[in-house]
Amino acid sequence: MSEKNIYKPIKYKLDKVVEETSLIKTFFISAKEEFEFKTGQFVEVTIDGIGEAPYTPSSSPYVKDKMEITIMKAGYVTDKMHQLKGGETLGIRGPFGKGYPIEDFYGKEVLILGGGVGLAPLRCLILTLLGEEDKFKKINICFGAKTPADFIYKDWYDELRKHKNVELLRSVDKADGSWQETEGLVTVLLEKVDINYKEAVAVVCGPPIMMKFGTFRLLEMGVKEENIYLSMEKNMSCGLGKCGHCAMGDYFVCKDGPVFTYNEIKDYPDIWI
Amino acid sequence: MKFYSVSMKQWVENLSNVASEFQIFAPILQNDFLDYELITPDNIEQIIYNTAKPTTPLKAFFFPVKENVVIDKKADKQRVIIGVPSCDLHAVNLLDKIFLDKDFLDIYYKKNRENTILIGTDCYKITDSCHCTSYGLNPYPEKNSDITLSIVEDIVILNVQTEKGEKFLEKIKDAEFKEGIAAEDKLKEKRDAVIQELDSKNKELPDAERTRKGIESSVDEVWKEYAEKCVSCGACAAICPTCHCFLLIDKENFEKVKNWDSCQYPAFERVAAGEDPLGKIYERLKNRYLCKFVHKPDMFGEIACTGCGRCIDACIGKIDKNEIILKICK
Repeated sequence: MSEKNIYKPIKYKLDKVVEETSLIKTFFISAKEEFEFKTGQFVEVTIDGIGEAPYTPSSSPYVKDKMEITIMKAGYVTDKMHQLKGGETLGIRGPFGKGYPIEDFYGKEVLILGGGVGLAPLRCLILTLLGEEDKFKKINICFGAKTPADFIYKDWYDELRKHKNVELLRSVDKADGSWQETEGLVTVLLEKVDINYKEAVAVVCGPPIMMKFGTFRLLEMGVKEENIYLSMEKNMSCGLGKCGHCAMGDYFVCKDGPVFTYNEIKDYPDIWI
Repeated sequence: MKFYSVSMKQWVENLSNVASEFQIFAPILQNDFLDYELITPDNIEQIIYNTAKPTTPLKAFFFPVKENVVIDKKADKQRVIIGVPSCDLHAVNLLDKIFLDKDFLDIYYKKNRENTILIGTDCYKITDSCHCTSYGLNPYPEKNSDITLSIVEDIVILNVQTEKGEKFLEKIKDAEFKEGIAAEDKLKEKRDAVIQELDSKNKELPDAERTRKGIESSVDEVWKEYAEKCVSCGACAAICPTCHCFLLIDKENFEKVKNWDSCQYPAFERVAAGEDPLGKIYERLKNRYLCKFVHKPDMFGEIACTGCGRCIDACIGKIDKNEIILKICK
């Protein structure tokens, strides 16, 4: 068949697997063909004969011959992913969906609010923003995790703090003796950020409960509904706006999202579950 | 838009002559069920023309229950489907918009569609559940046919709508196929009578716009009440001419099978972490109606119910879609 087959995955090699936390691993994939994607878009990864699931890459879209995907063990397919050791062949379809509209962030203060494995797509976003760091007035990052051990990308934070235009704040729900930063839910960090919320854009990604209360807190702080960008988790099967699994009101999240502004989706019931 | 008229006897004879050259499917009655069967010279006289919907919706020919969508498909004989009712022909609008979407063209659907000649037919008989006219459709073919077929007093009237239809007719027509439309007045009379029958039978039933408003303003109690009888079997989705949801099932060698799925099944929208926006039966039931009358019109400019009534016939919990609509539109 001469026309492109949208259902057929392209084969990539899984180079290595790195353990981030007890439940989260990062998968390093290399490509023979260059892989183009925009930050915020997702790919469908197939384990041969087992299953396919959607993930947002956590590596920079500027790097085209390698891709990193950070995955939490949460269900059948991710459990099988976690059993991979490196050296296996994976199938990838995509990229799918609309990414973050980076151009709309130019000249503004950007606030990035993330929790748990939600840091994975945000890492890709931050690496993208840092590629043209001067275009943004300020990049404020608020990251949360349950405990210090639950933070993924442990070596990354010192590096982030070296950027003059970046301010990084971190919190854990439950601190241990060595924790020097904030203790409390990630939303408490919002009080500490030096930012004009009324003019800022905010990006939220994390567990549903965190996204819900994070968004509500940002609204209280004065962020405009149309300036809050949410990355929605849905049960995408095809990624193509056909199979119906990710339907949310008038949207197929896979094709029309997965990034939405709060005002685009606020009227639908149960967006947080 | 050429018309031809031919006697039923001649039509059957000429169709029979090409039966082996094509895969011809047409409605045949078997064990009280009218359904599409492969036509051979042996069963060609049993074709039932101009009766309401066969059990299987037309979509199954383009979007099969299971289809491997990674391996190359071997070329089939061209398919001819005779006896497609208006409700199923209308459903093709929506299916085409989804599967032939220019951003993500489904080459399997496209191939199935291109390889099929659709012969739409008038419905002269309706069933209890038929209600196409309530949503602005007529019980005779208006769009998406390659040829339409009507029958008046044992004369088959064929109307060629597309080049594909023209080519097929070239193969079967002979001198007995007279150009022109026989008994046009009588055809109109027959059609009007069916419209009247449908309109009077369904006179209480709200139109698409009122149905939409009723669903949007409905309270959960109604859906909870009907959900008591729903067993999440998904029959309503399987027999629906517009339901297009599927699941990609993985096979070895990175092959994938596109398998019919339904929002009525538990866990249809459940994500890995466990959250499920359609976790409760009443949420799934309501979702079906929202999808058909609210979201699909917003997204594609088409309501996703063509009034075929198959979901009413198929429901083992005897949930009557129109009873719900009447209740919420009061």
